Amino acid sequence: MNSRARLLSQIEKNKPALVELPNVPSFQNNAATIEVFETALLKIGGNMIEMNDLTSLVTIIQNKFPGILKIASSLPIATINVNEWTNQQTLEAIELVILEARLGVAENGAVWLSDTDMLHRALPFITQHLVVVLNRKDIVATMHHAYEKIQLPDYGVFIAGPSKTADIEQSLVIGAHGARTMTVLLI
Amino acid sequence: MSHSEKAKQFNGDFNHTTWHDESLWFVREKRDKAVYGVPEFQQLRTLASQIKDHTLSNLDNYLIEFEHNANGNGIQVHWAIDADEHNRIILDIIRLSNSKNIVKSKSMLTEECHLNPFLQKHGVEVVDTDLGERIIQFRDEPPSHIVLPAIHLKKEDVGETFHKHLGTPKGENDPQRLTEAARQHLRQKFVTADVAITGANFAIAETGSIVVCTNEGNADLGVNFAKVHIASMGIEKVIPKWYHLSIFTRLLARSATGQPITTYTSHFTKPRKGAAMHIVIVDNGRANQLGREDFRSSLKCIRCGACMNTCPVYRRSGGHTYNFTVPGPIGSILAPNIDLKKYSSLPFASTLCGSCSDVCPVKIDIHTQLYKWRQIMGKENALPPLKKISMVMTAKILASTKVYNRLGKLARFILRVSPHWLTHATFLNPWAKARELPVPPKESFKTWYEINRASK
Repeated sequence: MNSRARLLSQIEKNKPALVELPNVPSFQNNAATIEVFETALLKIGGNMIEMNDLTSLVTIIQNKFPGILKIASSLPIATINVNEWTNQQTLEAIELVILEARLGVAENGAVWLSDTDMLHRALPFITQHLVVVLNRKDIVATMHHAYEKIQLPDYGVFIAGPSKTADIEQSLVIGAHGARTMTVLLI
Repeated sequence: MSHSEKAKQFNGDFNHTTWHDESLWFVREKRDKAVYGVPEFQQLRTLASQIKDHTLSNLDNYLIEFEHNANGNGIQVHWAIDADEHNRIILDIIRLSNSKNIVKSKSMLTEECHLNPFLQKHGVEVVDTDLGERIIQFRDEPPSHIVLPAIHLKKEDVGETFHKHLGTPKGENDPQRLTEAARQHLRQKFVTADVAITGANFAIAETGSIVVCTNEGNADLGVNFAKVHIASMGIEKVIPKWYHLSIFTRLLARSATGQPITTYTSHFTKPRKGAAMHIVIVDNGRANQLGREDFRSSLKCIRCGACMNTCPVYRRSGGHTYNFTVPGPIGSILAPNIDLKKYSSLPFASTLCGSCSDVCPVKIDIHTQLYKWRQIMGKENALPPLKKISMVMTAKILASTKVYNRLGKLARFILRVSPHWLTHATFLNPWAKARELPVPPKESFKTWYEINRASK
């Protein structure tokens, strides 16, 4: 008998009588407001900038990231073209990435990016700085509301603030391996 | 060496023990703050517990469903009965893909299987990319906590280690600058990696996806550059539905570190074009634990580490004293399933205060299981002789009112007349190591009651 068959038959023998799967109720006592989202985002080290539309994008980026030239983006602000076949060296040199997220979660400040939103799967992680454009209508209250809305992606990630670690004496350090800053542009 | 013997060594450094205790209590306090902010937190714990109970009761079918859907997504699924088979499968994949550069994000299962030393023996170097894991890999130490692997080290220790291995200036102890040095060092490893190994926090039967949670982004950086992704998962990681992730992702980070969610919660369903993905499903004793009625619920664990952070014994003895990959209360109920004799002291590394069960996000009755393992240790003759004899004696004394009353009287008398140095001599009375005995009363409570209350 191969390992698969052996293991499955041992589990079948050892498992308890069937326990019913609970129904998950809908959770309604959480707010999906900009205020709640921003509070959560700031707490985890992220920033938020509100703007009316994307016409002021270039000005805002130039003000916030002066001197930064190597920009990859799904918006027409990119200085470097990135697609799924872009090589490591090019990706490694990127300073700023600006992507559009499908939804944000108020309770924890996370935004959702699926592989179709990120040009290359490594892009949101290898960049020094990450900016995510989010429509205020796309803020949901909790993870329950988020998972209800998400279409199953080949690859997708909730990103909540900048990369961080507390592995040395519990001291919080922002900028572990991934993006050093994370900014949500709310339109 | 037993847990208590190792703990004695750990407690030799009083200041370090106090620092360790306070560091972990700080994490526990952050957990509380995060939990109190979610009105339905207790309801989420109940749901998570019920979903895990259900899954375990249908585990074979969920694993089959998971495999079927993962295959459909272009993922190759492997099955391993034990650590050795797991390690061999991974070595074969690495060899077949002709790979030299291997990166690994945190996976307690690969620690449990001792994957790194195995691969090293076969000429394959693995770079651990989680900062804490990289630190202890440099130092050739096992993790002392499942979420905070280097929690036993001071920043001076890390500074010394990085000076030796990464060439940081001697005496550089600033966490920010040390982390930056690791960032520069590991970025080179990420972009040149051929194979990325990860664990899996959750595996979803319905979609064949796995979810990996990190704060540093090291799992994604590894996987998204490498041409091969290998994920190791224990059989208990599977959950039925995609939607169930919403419950577990709300519980995990809040319970672990007090964050509302980990920085990165990554969902891997299909490998990217031109890359391959493998999942190794590992048993290594878990199916056996499933058959132990009293202990099967330990398989519901989602590895948040909350039981460690809250445990008064773990906090004042450190993870290495458990001598098992998963230390603390949960490790103490998992380890005896693997080797009853070797880990016989672990169920006793507890005050049975129940704090572990109170904070567990999937409501495992950890302290009850610790108690039950103690009974088994007694029956299986796995107790040290002195403990066994004292248990038999105590049982006899407590079973006889006459003997109990006489000995009580005698003890009160001896305690009254003996000098302090004798009553507090630690070789006679280990209890008095860090404590003062109260003044012995003149009579027992029973006598006192008879004189003062019974007649009224």
